[in-house]
Amino acid sequence: MQQLTTTLLTGLTLGAVFSAFALALVMIWRSTRIVNFAQAPMAMVTTYVALVLIDAGASYWVGFVAALLSGFVLGAVIERVVVRHVEGKAELNAVILTLGLFIVLHAAAALVFGSRFRSFPAPFGVRGLTVGDSTIPLTGFGIFTLVSVLVVMGLLVALFRGTDIGLRMRAAAFGPEVARLLGVKVGRMLTLGWALASVVGSLSGLLIAGGGLVHPGYMDSVVVYGFVAAVLGGLESPGGAVVGGLSLGLTLSVVSGYVGSEVVPLAALLVLVVVLLVRPGGLFSTVHERRV
Amino acid sequence: MRSTTTRRGRTVVVALAAAACTLVTACGAGESREDAAPEPAEDVPGITEDTITIGGHWPLTGVAAPGYSEIPGGAQAYFDYVNENGGIGGRDIELVIKDDAYNPTNTTQVTNELVQQDEVFGIVGGLGTPTHSAVIDFLNEEGVPDLFVSSGARKWGETPEEYPYTFGWQPDYVIEGKVIGQYIAENMPDAQVGLFLQDDDFGEDGEMGVRQFIDDQIVETVRYTPGNTDVGPQVAALQAAGADLVLGFNVPSYTALSQLVALRLGYEPQWYYSNVGSDPNLVGSLLARFSEGAVEDDASLLDGVMTSEYIPGVDSPDNPWVQLWQEVWDAHGEEGELTNYRIYGMSWAYTFVQAAMAAGDDLSRDGIVEALESGGAGFVGPGYGPFRYSADSHLGLSGLKVVELQGGVGEELTDVLVTDLGDAEITEDASAAGDAPPENGVPSAG
Repeated sequence: MQQLTTTLLTGLTLGAVFSAFALALVMIWRSTRIVNFAQAPMAMVTTYVALVLIDAGASYWVGFVAALLSGFVLGAVIERVVVRHVEGKAELNAVILTLGLFIVLHAAAALVFGSRFRSFPAPFGVRGLTVGDSTIPLTGFGIFTLVSVLVVMGLLVALFRGTDIGLRMRAAAFGPEVARLLGVKVGRMLTLGWALASVVGSLSGLLIAGGGLVHPGYMDSVVVYGFVAAVLGGLESPGGAVVGGLSLGLTLSVVSGYVGSEVVPLAALLVLVVVLLVRPGGLFSTVHERRV
Repeated sequence: MRSTTTRRGRTVVVALAAAACTLVTACGAGESREDAAPEPAEDVPGITEDTITIGGHWPLTGVAAPGYSEIPGGAQAYFDYVNENGGIGGRDIELVIKDDAYNPTNTTQVTNELVQQDEVFGIVGGLGTPTHSAVIDFLNEEGVPDLFVSSGARKWGETPEEYPYTFGWQPDYVIEGKVIGQYIAENMPDAQVGLFLQDDDFGEDGEMGVRQFIDDQIVETVRYTPGNTDVGPQVAALQAAGADLVLGFNVPSYTALSQLVALRLGYEPQWYYSNVGSDPNLVGSLLARFSEGAVEDDASLLDGVMTSEYIPGVDSPDNPWVQLWQEVWDAHGEEGELTNYRIYGMSWAYTFVQAAMAAGDDLSRDGIVEALESGGAGFVGPGYGPFRYSADSHLGLSGLKVVELQGGVGEELTDVLVTDLGDAEITEDASAAGDAPPENGVPSAG
């Protein structure tokens, strides 16, 4: 029983990180119709920005905010300088481009920050919470992770459903020509979409780094699992991304604890295949809303 | 409209699958140092009138890089030292260092490069059980000396008829398991033992040795896959089984990770980490940042943790070998301080020089194998126990002691214990531990 609780709570924290990453993918998909494979190394770079500041003596929260801000700038710059050239062309071009960015950022980070492992501080300690004599295997940071993910999900829903700018971003992504005729500044909207998605990605980078070890490849497994989570949720819906991430985290944790850690990647791909066969649009597909 | 969406979805999925594959393999770009290979003057590859070129593969990047990436730097420093003192029979040693990121696919590639492009004389100190397993057949088929594999798997030396060119160096994990197993059986007979194992020969061999003595005390066995950094479920299983003594056969980053998870779970067993995963400085530096509010100070992070030792390390600065290594490092080292990993690299580099000296002036690939088989067991070196080299065994050092870490220093729990695979008895024998290095720090011929 104790083992099950521990395994499930571990899975929940892990799932929250997948969710955060999946939310970033949903964000960029809805605002630009591109799946951004470079999301993970972008988040890795901004996490290193935070680490450099913290190493220089700044407080954790200064590093935290700096990482999010640099995420915003990095996202905007990459869209404006690199991705802009392939927008509106075949969608495979953009996918390949982001894969290239993945490798470039990876190598650049290894050069600039070094490739050794470094520990990243956690603002709320790394011990589990104690209630009486027993320890609940959930750290303060784990709770912070879960709460941040839910807040971000709420913000994204509000942005796309409730605000004028969210509507314009979706319009720019769906029908750039028509949107432009209606007075939407399409280019600016796409830049904003990348910037915001990159902020969410940076957050996920910080969440997975906290109380753990950081190196240029530390986000790599999250890329694969985050994509599975996003597809599970349907790539369209923030709520779906969160549910997808959490359920994937729980599944993988149970598989790791009761079957063996060597089958975890296999289990993730199995989940992916099953979802695509049974519900290709994802568990929470909102395709019908777009049928005109 | 709907069909468009579906097609778009499929494209994404295909790209996804392709990307997943790419990501798994693409993350190992790293630095590698390539010296131009000299034209072989005679028939022996890698040997010219005045140079001898050797190479090896190490994880300079990736999950196993902390600590291990320092090893070739240590070896390089010692080779520079030897070159300055006349080299091996007038030949300078050139070391080609390749990064395999602890990924067997890369190991195959870089080893091919070493053998076919750089035309090295032999591979020396190639690191890692899963990685080196990928190239052992190739090296033996090609007749390339494969000396002093940096891993304690028994397969490097157990069957010389199968792998005539491969030699182990450090004590194998089986005898390390036997030594700690016997210690526990004698001193902690009531302990409920949990095993935390890397899921390959490393963990398997260690488990095999441990089980010879305390099979009935083991309450749970868990395995982690290198690369999967979430060991929460594994440690939770140990805790649930009530293990109050955990034996870890794992690499250093997993020592840090398992300690972190244990903090999260409020799990406080007695820990033992095999020599490979227990370097207090490295693990301490990984964990130091979490110390705020979690542990008292850096030096105490691994206090009370048991481990084993087979060569003197930086915690015994008065040892004559460590003094030699310090001198070598001060004169020829890169940036940074002398560490146990650098000492490890220097130690096998020393054995290589010894073997090449013993093989004599007409150094050949078969000659060095023969020299090790006939004379290797008598080599004097920093190891606490003697080498086991013979025509029937290519296994390395045979002696270890169990120590407990206190403030980063290993305090002896046992004398040097010498043993071999299988039923071989464990005997106290400190005779080799008192050996001192030669005056000039370079082993002499013969």
